[in-house]
Amino acid sequence: MAQRLALRRLLAGPGRALGTSAGRPSAFNVQDGGDFQERVVNSAKPVVVDFHAQWCGPCKILGPRLEKMVAKQEGKVVMAKVDIDDHTDLAIEYEVSAVPTVLAMKNGDVVDKFVGIKDEDQLEAFLKKLIGA
Amino acid sequence: AMLLFSRVNEAAKYEKKVMVLDFVTPTPLGNSWGLGGTCVNVGCIPKKLMHQAALLGQALQDSRKFGWQFPEEVKHNWMTMTESVQNYIGSLNWGYRVALREKKVTYENAYGEFVQPHTVKATNKRGVEKLYTAERFLIATGERPRYLGIPGDKEYCISSDDLFSLPYCPGKTLVVGASYVALECAGFLAGLGLDVTVMVRSILLRGFDQDMANKIGEYMEEHGIKFIREFVPIKVEQIEEGTPGRLKVTAKSTKGNEVIEGEYNTVLLAIGRDACTRKIGLDKVGVKINEKTGKIPVNDMEQTNVPYIYAIGDILQDRLELTPVAIQAGRLLVQRLYGGATTKCDYVNVPTTVFTPLEYGACGYSEENAIQKFGEENIEVYHSHFWPLEWTVPSRDNNKCYAKIICNIRDNERVIGFHVLGPNAGEVTQGFAAAIKCGLTKEQLDSTIGIHPVCAEVCIRSHLPIPASVAFWDKLLETQTSEFY
Repeated sequence: MAQRLALRRLLAGPGRALGTSAGRPSAFNVQDGGDFQERVVNSAKPVVVDFHAQWCGPCKILGPRLEKMVAKQEGKVVMAKVDIDDHTDLAIEYEVSAVPTVLAMKNGDVVDKFVGIKDEDQLEAFLKKLIGA
Repeated sequence: AMLLFSRVNEAAKYEKKVMVLDFVTPTPLGNSWGLGGTCVNVGCIPKKLMHQAALLGQALQDSRKFGWQFPEEVKHNWMTMTESVQNYIGSLNWGYRVALREKKVTYENAYGEFVQPHTVKATNKRGVEKLYTAERFLIATGERPRYLGIPGDKEYCISSDDLFSLPYCPGKTLVVGASYVALECAGFLAGLGLDVTVMVRSILLRGFDQDMANKIGEYMEEHGIKFIREFVPIKVEQIEEGTPGRLKVTAKSTKGNEVIEGEYNTVLLAIGRDACTRKIGLDKVGVKINEKTGKIPVNDMEQTNVPYIYAIGDILQDRLELTPVAIQAGRLLVQRLYGGATTKCDYVNVPTTVFTPLEYGACGYSEENAIQKFGEENIEVYHSHFWPLEWTVPSRDNNKCYAKIICNIRDNERVIGFHVLGPNAGEVTQGFAAAIKCGLTKEQLDSTIGIHPVCAEVCIRSHLPIPASVAFWDKLLETQTSEFY
């Protein structure tokens, strides 16, 4: 599914809205370790990483909510999504036990983290802290 | 396997370097699953959840009599149930990964086989091979469902390995077999509203108390499950492809030449399970197995004939095929090997429960085994039917639930067999298993005061007369000398 998204992005060209109200894609699915290195660790902008699983109910609530709040930040922060069953090595490397686990990353370092569901205000505060700090 | 887990966690506790090789060879239909073994993925856990789904269906019907009002007929959605069950299993798979990591156990999703003494080869799903050596090895490879060996079995039939993640409702189902797997699956499928037939070669629940087994079968039959007795399938053909498709089953009588045919959407094979011991290189290291059954004989320390190789779980010869037994055996084994303990696993008086529509809990001897071991004149059987209070208002069966206690007269009327047929049989049985382990006698049972109103109190001699749910005691005369009271 992530590959279809990438293809559409390619075909759509820069700046075209792809299903988000903010006019640019807010979240991408990490493809592999290399992709994570390039787009998260080496990202110029701060990144929130959403570790989730197919079998996790709360993840299905948090994911879209976090995406929505990220979109509100007008491109100042990027969101990466990691399915822990597809990318178990990554999840283990970042010591993910329960899901959803969200990491705030800046310049390759984990600067903040939370586990479980948060409401929109809490997410906004989390993101603002990451951007501002 | 989950058993591997309990044991490796134990070993890691003693700061031993531990590795787990877990690999699931896909089913003939291509199905596979994550870390945790049979119980977690394709056994106890999904079974009990689906059994619960069926019980809830019954509860919905009962609820109308208790005042709940809902106008439409209530239907069941297979996909919703299966997705929820698989999601829970997914969380368990992940939980085990995390637990292994926390205990610093190395985990490889690879197929392990011995290649020479002290050495295993691990092959992952991409075919990459690695060699590992170790001081000691523990085999806990479990079993997989047996196939009939008839035309069409692997192509068209499913097993319990496929059922719990089936991506479509099985529809009209033929269950082949009379094991607890067969009866439990038939039970919940029927409870979800499906048309179910069970094809039985000879008896039900071989190895279990046959009096109880027959009561279970009767109950299932009275509640809409069809039984075809003394027939075995000889051919399965596909009439139409689909999800589900349509299958034609041809079966032959075990008693003569009669041949019958039937059409079903799904054929579920539950005729037994075979140990996964034939292709793991046991010959390379000299581990003896029972050639006929594939099972591994071990001593009372779970050690094979090769001193540095141990075995646990369903693959053991002459042991019970139960998850808690394997877990306990594994835990004690590691404590003995690395913790200086001497306790051996106690395989006697292990309680168990069969989650058929009418649940059956048991601990100790079946009536026939008790008679064989102690002599008919030396045992006393106390039994009673009971009517759960919750079944009175909705007018459910008042004479199907049943409890039976077998005592050894020669040994202070010690309770040597406990059998209960009724709701929550597992919950009822667990406590009595502990009492039996402590040497429970009939007198102690009698002097225990009952909890009222619960089903379990029928197992205690109750003197309270309760309208419409009288637990009355009949003493089944097994001897010629005892008195009637």
